[in-house]
Amino acid sequence: MTLRLRSWLPVAVVPAVVIVGVLTVPLQAGAAVDLPDKTPAQVLALIGDSNVKALSGTIEQTSELGLPALPSTGSGADASASSALELLTGSHTARVYLNGPDNIRVQVMDRLAERDLVRNASDVWMYNSKDNTALHVTLPDTTGMPRPEADGSQQTPAQLAERMLAAIDPSTAVTVGKDTRVAGRTAYELRLTPRTDETLVGEVSIAVDSETGMPLRVEVQARGQSAPAFSLAFSKLSLEAPNADLFDFTPPAGAKVEEKSLPDASAMHDKAMHDMSLTGGKMPATEDEATKLVEQLKDEKLKNGGGMLPGVSVDGTGWASVVELPAGTVPADVLADPLLAQVTESVDGGRLLSTALVNVLVTDDGRVFAGSVPAARLQTAAVGG
Amino acid sequence: MSSDTRPTDAAASVTPVTGPQMTGAQAADRPRPSSGWALMVSELTVLFRRRRTWAMLLALAAVPVLIAVAVRLASSPVAPGRGPPFLDRVAQNGLFVAITAMVVCIPLFLPLTIGVVAGDTIAGEAGLGTLRYLLVAPAGRVRLLIVKYAGAAVFCLAATLTVAVSGAAIGAALFPIGPVTLLSGDTIGVGESVLRSLLIAGYVTVSMLGLSAIGLFISTLTEVPVGAMAATIVVSVVAQVLDALPQLDWLHPWLFSHYWLDFADLLRQPLEWTSFGNNALLQGGYLLVFGALAYGRFVTKDILS
Repeated sequence: MTLRLRSWLPVAVVPAVVIVGVLTVPLQAGAAVDLPDKTPAQVLALIGDSNVKALSGTIEQTSELGLPALPSTGSGADASASSALELLTGSHTARVYLNGPDNIRVQVMDRLAERDLVRNASDVWMYNSKDNTALHVTLPDTTGMPRPEADGSQQTPAQLAERMLAAIDPSTAVTVGKDTRVAGRTAYELRLTPRTDETLVGEVSIAVDSETGMPLRVEVQARGQSAPAFSLAFSKLSLEAPNADLFDFTPPAGAKVEEKSLPDASAMHDKAMHDMSLTGGKMPATEDEATKLVEQLKDEKLKNGGGMLPGVSVDGTGWASVVELPAGTVPADVLADPLLAQVTESVDGGRLLSTALVNVLVTDDGRVFAGSVPAARLQTAAVGG
Repeated sequence: MSSDTRPTDAAASVTPVTGPQMTGAQAADRPRPSSGWALMVSELTVLFRRRRTWAMLLALAAVPVLIAVAVRLASSPVAPGRGPPFLDRVAQNGLFVAITAMVVCIPLFLPLTIGVVAGDTIAGEAGLGTLRYLLVAPAGRVRLLIVKYAGAAVFCLAATLTVAVSGAAIGAALFPIGPVTLLSGDTIGVGESVLRSLLIAGYVTVSMLGLSAIGLFISTLTEVPVGAMAATIVVSVVAQVLDALPQLDWLHPWLFSHYWLDFADLLRQPLEWTSFGNNALLQGGYLLVFGALAYGRFVTKDILS
């Protein structure tokens, strides 16, 4: 009998050790971090000072928006629309390589497939391994064009941080949370909490690398949901320059290559020069100047026959604002898409797309109301407006 | 694939069976349990002398051949994104036959053959009445368990290598061979692609170790080998069904089949080792837990046959 008991001992011990190991290893990785205290303004200034030129890392993105799972294939599902929505649902892993401002490579790692974006100076390649297609875009040459000169009147990141804080203070409480660890690096956690109860957003937290000031993780919490509604975080990060070969992309033999060139560079240049001439070639240094510039540009746009989106109106302020698009702004065929019917539900006065962070109401007469507010608020806006 | 045990084959493994009155000393004289290595060699000889083992390996080797011939005979080229992944690349590069075949084999064919081998380990001997001759001392049971598991692991490697080698061979015979396009869109030479194929075979072998441990444990529970084989295969199918249900995503990282298809990470540039590491850890965990369970069950079991 004792032999029996003794023989069963490993059966209890081994799984117990495995479970304890599984539970404690991540705990150690997240062991308490104690960094010198900083005020929110100092953390913001740290972000502003950030000067990371090269990195290679892995980014994990997860969304818990409460959207219904979409069929990836199926009748009526528009391929491009569902692939855009697909990025919003579920979780994704991407590898990111960066070397200077001109060399970027992003690899979205799908199961048995990969989507790549490679930028090497003015060449931008997009490659999708699933259908073996590549898209080549040549960016307009920007060398030789005047860049806004940095002059003495520019603000330091610290001043900018103070200004930003003052600007958002009426709507948002900014605090520094507990020091944390992201991708093996110590980080400050900046927490933005809306001061109003009328929004669906519970809190936005940004983990800022204590050494370089680079944001390492962004999490958006929704009210009444324990898992973050949206999270984007580095799971691995190295600040060494990646191998230069990575930015050298030639489409593989047999791939379908599509060439695309952006609108004529000189036209864009003229436009940029024109906009810049309004300020005498300088970046706006103060808030007044910036406001003036925005007003001037707005006037220009109106004179040239309308702004970006005519008729868009915003009701409310801050987090609880509701955006209204008049009927006809959204093309009818988009509204008739069976995919839309699949993700929306029928409510009083229209169809509602409900997610943990944003609600969108399409009224029966074609108007669209959107906001990070409860659905009832949109319905009142639809009736009232 | 025959799931019935062949008494003639298996009986040859324990030559000469003198009857239940055989003593421990007599048993030690037999070639099998004299030392761990001898036991291992004898186990492998028995395993690879079986017609059933060869039938399963041949069936696995037939998968890439079928794929290659089908693509070769097809009147129109395969459109990208249709059929199993990488199928459209096969016509351009024969080396993709092995990879396509691997994707096709992983969900069912490989678990099927491994379920047969792992489920047969202990229950097969018990069912034939040869188990008690293999066990002469209490320590002998542990050794037998380890040897049986190692035998199943060697079969995992043989099975994946069969798919890889037969795929490469038929691909080279029917299609041009050239630089291989990775998932990232970069191309690598033939030499490196062979290396990566071997890495993939290694990955898939490691992937199957957890299932083998489960099969070993189930095999200690019964004396009916067919039952243990079927149960092991059912477990692998259930795990994959659970892995496909989005409602259970908290469970997914714990399922032994979760990383099975992530061998594709070895086809990225630069090589992504994360899933290899995660997979190895997970399979190691399954091996520990189910190895311990099998030990507890087997050491305390009354061996009557």
